[in-house]
Amino acid sequence: MKRSCMGAGETDVPKIMLIVGARPNFMKMAPLYFEMAGTKLLDPRIVHTGQHYDYAMSQAFFEDLELPEPHYFLGTGSGSHGEQTARIMVESERVFLAEKPDLVVVFGDVNSTLACSLTAKKLLIPVAHVEAGLRSFDETMPEEINRRVTDIVSDLLFTPSADGDENLTREGVAPKRIHRVGNIMIDSLVRILGRISPDQEGAILRQWNLPQGNYVLVTLHRPSNVDERESLQGILGYLNKLSQRLPVVFPMHPRTKKNIETFGIDMAFGSAFQILEPVRYREFITLEKNARFVLTDSGGIQEETTFLGLPCLTLRPNTERPITITQGTNELVDLGTMESRTQRILAGNWKAGNVPALWDGRTAERITSVISSYVDSRR
Amino acid sequence: MRVLSIVGARPQFIKAAVVSKQIRAGGFEERLLHTGQHYDFNMSEVFFRELDLPEPSYYLGIGSGRHGEQTARMIAGIEEVLLKEDPDVVIIYGDTNTTLAGALAPVKLHIPVAHVEAGLRSYNRQMPEEINRVVADHCSDILFCPTQTAVRNLEKEGFHNVLDEGRLIPADGASTSSASSDPLVINVGDVMLDIARYAKHRLDTEPGKRTGILEKCGLQPREYILATIHRAGNTDDPDNLRNVLEAMRAISTGGLTVFFPIHPRTRRALEKFDLLGLVEAGGIVTSEPVSYMEMIALESDARLLLTDSGGVQKEAYFFGVPCVVVREETEWTELVEIGWNRLAGTRVAEIVAAVEATIHEDFESKARVDFYGDGRASIRIAAVLKGQA
Repeated sequence: MKRSCMGAGETDVPKIMLIVGARPNFMKMAPLYFEMAGTKLLDPRIVHTGQHYDYAMSQAFFEDLELPEPHYFLGTGSGSHGEQTARIMVESERVFLAEKPDLVVVFGDVNSTLACSLTAKKLLIPVAHVEAGLRSFDETMPEEINRRVTDIVSDLLFTPSADGDENLTREGVAPKRIHRVGNIMIDSLVRILGRISPDQEGAILRQWNLPQGNYVLVTLHRPSNVDERESLQGILGYLNKLSQRLPVVFPMHPRTKKNIETFGIDMAFGSAFQILEPVRYREFITLEKNARFVLTDSGGIQEETTFLGLPCLTLRPNTERPITITQGTNELVDLGTMESRTQRILAGNWKAGNVPALWDGRTAERITSVISSYVDSRR
Repeated sequence: MRVLSIVGARPQFIKAAVVSKQIRAGGFEERLLHTGQHYDFNMSEVFFRELDLPEPSYYLGIGSGRHGEQTARMIAGIEEVLLKEDPDVVIIYGDTNTTLAGALAPVKLHIPVAHVEAGLRSYNRQMPEEINRVVADHCSDILFCPTQTAVRNLEKEGFHNVLDEGRLIPADGASTSSASSDPLVINVGDVMLDIARYAKHRLDTEPGKRTGILEKCGLQPREYILATIHRAGNTDDPDNLRNVLEAMRAISTGGLTVFFPIHPRTRRALEKFDLLGLVEAGGIVTSEPVSYMEMIALESDARLLLTDSGGVQKEAYFFGVPCVVVREETEWTELVEIGWNRLAGTRVAEIVAAVEATIHEDFESKARVDFYGDGRASIRIAAVLKGQA
């Protein structure tokens, strides 16, 4: 057995590599890292592939989540899908060969998720996918391919809700591979909410001069919304108009900002329409919690608003998180319906929603327990 | 319609050769991309010239390497060609790392992918080929299945846009239009049968070629067992490899000639594990790897095939030769079900017992089923692609 040749200082605790690459991964990995390290059931090592690498997108999040420095930083950077996936595969394979982990955990649906699940599996290292079973059924989304391939490859599939189980079962995944554990991002949300004091909250809102509970938070980054001139212009025009009724705050991805210049969108933005640099995790959660409603195209924010009981408009034709609509506070909109939905929210006529089962801040506990018995059974 | 065919390993060249012939006859503009996965592939072999296998337009020269690194370099290289060529469809074959990379690169660029030999499953997730197959299928837009079993496997994984309920479609590719935009699953039959029929026809019309290799190796038709061992599960595991060799030796001392052309990977493993002596000490007749046509001649004249290869199992059936499989599972479960294949695993006693049982069974009158179509799979593939254009 490989454990018989343990080096000095190594323990017999199974070694688990946690793979993150882009911002949405960090909040999903952090609770699992703390749970594994805290219970000492498993020995977690963080591998950061470097898909998102600048301070605001990466290091600031690590700080706010109180995570240690990654054990490995692969520095693969950006590039075309193929190039990026290829570089991550080469570098992650090196790490896996050197570390010989007992299991690799991948999160969500980014290129790092796909690349590392493939390399680990080819080295016969078991793979666990956190946030498995999500489907938008929109094959033009690169994330959809990442999700499907990662799920096919993974040995343990951790789903956030029953629709995930159903999607996987429909794709022929054996039920014993599927574990419904709830939504791990809610673990991070619960944790950080307990660590932001009312004073800090007030300070953050004052910083941007926002009235508590009475402004709109906007986050948009999908190519279909921000990489086409017409749609970006339409959205910004609407938001500018909306800001005459209540303040709008839009932390903007640098790429989107560049698009505004490139497309030559020349708009006189009102003073109540604030475009911000990307904000830190604790700032973002504060902005989210205190908003009147949220307009987004992100996946995770649909879930956070459902947990917070806050109206959410999702500017997309579909969602891989349908439970936020059927049970939560989310609705899909397009440029045509955005205004009438906003009216309904402002008129106080929005569904209350409720928090889905197992979105309780204890998902990392359940995952750790499943992984722990799985690796034990293989030794 | 512009087609990019992606190949890299020997079996893929063989499959692409027959498909390519039909595609070009159908007026498509086809480019061939060779990843270089098997860099020792000999394009000048007569067989391929006869099949008009075109020279590759792109050669990536990836060579061997670790799975991740090899696949990664292929993805990056293929992506570059795709951006330059912008084909209407990419065709991938089988289940190698070339297949995997050939599926992942175009799917992210929204270029449609057609997978030839889709839907095969061993249900052993420890096999790298199984991962390659499953991922390739789930990235594909058109899934050309060789059998109805393959269609059923895909249905179990949620593919529901199945043409003609998984029956072999008409050879002219009629009725291939589908109202749905979901991935299309089509039973076209097995391209390997197209190739085997063609090769057998060549041998039968040129008997000299057929007997040449047997004479060279001192073999009499129906009086030898042909053994081919090259799968990683056997070559990377010294215990398995030793067991297979022990079994071959036991069989050969029992009076039957065992003929064993040694694959380069297998030879390296024999050297590494110090097992060459075992091969030489027994009554096993060995040789260097043989050409494709020689292999077909050896297969069709054998009494029995002992193999861990997927393709050889089927070729055995095409030629009416029974087969003992030295693996724990097979993608061709239907052959086991009707008794033409025996799954022997990798223990000495079980391999020997399976060979003996097979030798004593009457296969002359044993029933056969047309699992693999009618030898016109490549014609159907070209017709379907034409219908999609």
